[in-house]
Amino acid sequence: MDGFQSDADARATFATLVSDSDEHRATLTQAVLDHTALGIIGLDADRNVVLCNRSAAEMLGLTAPQLWQPVPLPRCLQESTTLDAAGKLAFEVALHTTTGFDRLFGLNVPDQTLQLILLDGRLLHVTVHQVDANHCFVTLNVQTSGEVPPERTDGLTGLSDRQWFRERLTVELTAPKKEDQVAVLLIDLDRFKAINDSHGHPVGDALLQMVAQRLRSVVRDGDLVSRLGGDEFAVTMPGVGSPEAMGVRLVDLLSRPYLIEGHVAVIGASVGIAVGPRDGADTASLVRAADLALYQAKEDGRQSVREFKQEMDTRARARHALLDDLRRALALQQFEVHYQPQTNLGSRQLVGFEALVRWRHPELGLIPPDRFIPLAEEVGLIVGIGEWVLRKACLDAMSWPGQLSVAVNVSAKQLEDPNRLPRVVEAALAASGLPAKRLEVEITESALVRYEQQALQVLHTLRAKGVRVSMDDFGTGYSSLSQLRSFPFDKLKIDRSFVRDLSNSDEAVAVIRAIAALGASLGMTTTAEGVETDAQETMVRNDGCTDMQGYLVSRPVPAENVAELIRSLTVDIPPFQESI
Amino acid sequence: MTTDFFRLVYCSRNTISAGWSNPAAEIAEILAVSRANNARDGVTGALLYSDGCFAQVLEGDLDMVQRTFERIQRDTRHGDVIVLEARRAEARMFGMWDMALAEPADPTKAKAILGLALAEPNEDAGTTVVALLDGLVRREGDWANAA
Repeated sequence: MDGFQSDADARATFATLVSDSDEHRATLTQAVLDHTALGIIGLDADRNVVLCNRSAAEMLGLTAPQLWQPVPLPRCLQESTTLDAAGKLAFEVALHTTTGFDRLFGLNVPDQTLQLILLDGRLLHVTVHQVDANHCFVTLNVQTSGEVPPERTDGLTGLSDRQWFRERLTVELTAPKKEDQVAVLLIDLDRFKAINDSHGHPVGDALLQMVAQRLRSVVRDGDLVSRLGGDEFAVTMPGVGSPEAMGVRLVDLLSRPYLIEGHVAVIGASVGIAVGPRDGADTASLVRAADLALYQAKEDGRQSVREFKQEMDTRARARHALLDDLRRALALQQFEVHYQPQTNLGSRQLVGFEALVRWRHPELGLIPPDRFIPLAEEVGLIVGIGEWVLRKACLDAMSWPGQLSVAVNVSAKQLEDPNRLPRVVEAALAASGLPAKRLEVEITESALVRYEQQALQVLHTLRAKGVRVSMDDFGTGYSSLSQLRSFPFDKLKIDRSFVRDLSNSDEAVAVIRAIAALGASLGMTTTAEGVETDAQETMVRNDGCTDMQGYLVSRPVPAENVAELIRSLTVDIPPFQESI
Repeated sequence: MTTDFFRLVYCSRNTISAGWSNPAAEIAEILAVSRANNARDGVTGALLYSDGCFAQVLEGDLDMVQRTFERIQRDTRHGDVIVLEARRAEARMFGMWDMALAEPADPTKAKAILGLALAEPNEDAGTTVVALLDGLVRREGDWANAA
């Protein structure tokens, strides 16, 4: 039984049906309607669905309502798993217009047609037929053959593109299937950029093509591999399977060497996994969950596979909130500079202070630097914070007696523009009146490595002005010695980890001795950081360090307590009191 | 004979040896597939399997070596792939073989060489591994010629 062959047939049948509610006829009618390929929905004047055949239910992804049991159209459409929000709205508006017009003006409104794109990409033709003043019905027709839009692919790799990835994921998330879950694996390549830069774009492109082939070779039938852009890929696994095992396999496979035009290239991969609807019921939140997992995987080091966990979301939100507060903190004057004394090991004489930034959060209290400095560096806020600390430290140091110096930390980010820091330093010195020789900038090895040429240029400019330059956390970087050759540092600050290990590690002793000897031969001050006990003080003195800094002398103190600290430290060492 | 050959030497570890009830049969199967592909692609070389480690030399046109290597890379029966040598070569060293099986007379020595190559992959390791395979294959060749 084929049922209606045309809209005209349907119209004629429906016209008789609405005038006769006989139970048997209704049952028969439902049977007829359910056997027609055309989707049919009947509505009353209040836009309640009073009739819906099986085809229509299938096309819209609805559970078919009982015949003659009115259900409001919006509620019906809400259930639809094949239309997106825009489609549902367009559908509703079309019906609203016809019934509305008709009721208000009693006009004979012509049939309305509209085309909607279903989530699976097929085209749905919707025609609204007016029956009488109170009733209308809708016929639905899905275009199938030849009209299915082709998969949208990425030109380079032939994989699905980002848009297709999202659309398919939406279909998977909304399709009423037995296995209603879907796993998303987001894949990010490590070191791809370096290969692209060093070997050129053609090699980079060939590498991406090989990555695509390897991904294709490992996924199951029915999994979708997409290139989301750049060196970002995704594998969508309907029915989930074992996404973590797949992730591990992907990382292994992608990390194997590639032979391209005779070059051997080695890259890595990180994978973030989220499973829908558990980790996200809609496309956007599922992709976000996978993204958070990927972020965690990269954070945990290369070659990691991480599954989304609720606490990742919690942490991301907390981080976001903290970042929001951090953006306002400078304007709200929530930062403070604390000062930690540095003393000479031979004379125990106070030589100066290191300026250390603290953030007093209105609700969270004093936030330790390791919680906000990396965040501030990541988003570039560190530049403004660093410059504020510099100005404040110069002003504060002016109130200290004699030649006491002030050391200010400089972040790698502050070296991105080579002209900026020298200008800011000059302004800070001019505004405070502090002589340049009393200011010291501390820079870490990692900052130097990151912006080598620029950093050296900046440091030379500063040093030419008379500002002293010290290398912070010395001994932790991998290129310490080569850095020493590239710039005449005034001071090496020996990383606290060596001092901490002094009592139980011969290696730590050897490293400190070597650095102290190196400093002595190059005419540099060597400051041991993190000295907390008398024993450590004795050891670093015996090992040849010239200066020290640490809790043994004092923890960092607020600016207003510095004067008192200077008095107490100076009283202890009468022979040197006059020279200050 | 063409002189513009490419030679690639790599080491890797067997990842599923626990599942290999009969390693000799598995290796025989790998070899059979490899020989068929290589005969078609004009690739020659040698394969050594010793105590869970593979060492393989592939030589031929760059394009073909590249394709063969990529196919091997996607094989999940091995992992920890390390390329020891990838360079143009004057001539084939294993020209007689679609893929020779190098069976070490002294397994301890072979194991030591592969172990070292995986631990410290560098050019020296590559040279040593090639020499090892060359020696083993030559010996087999002599034996085959004599027989």
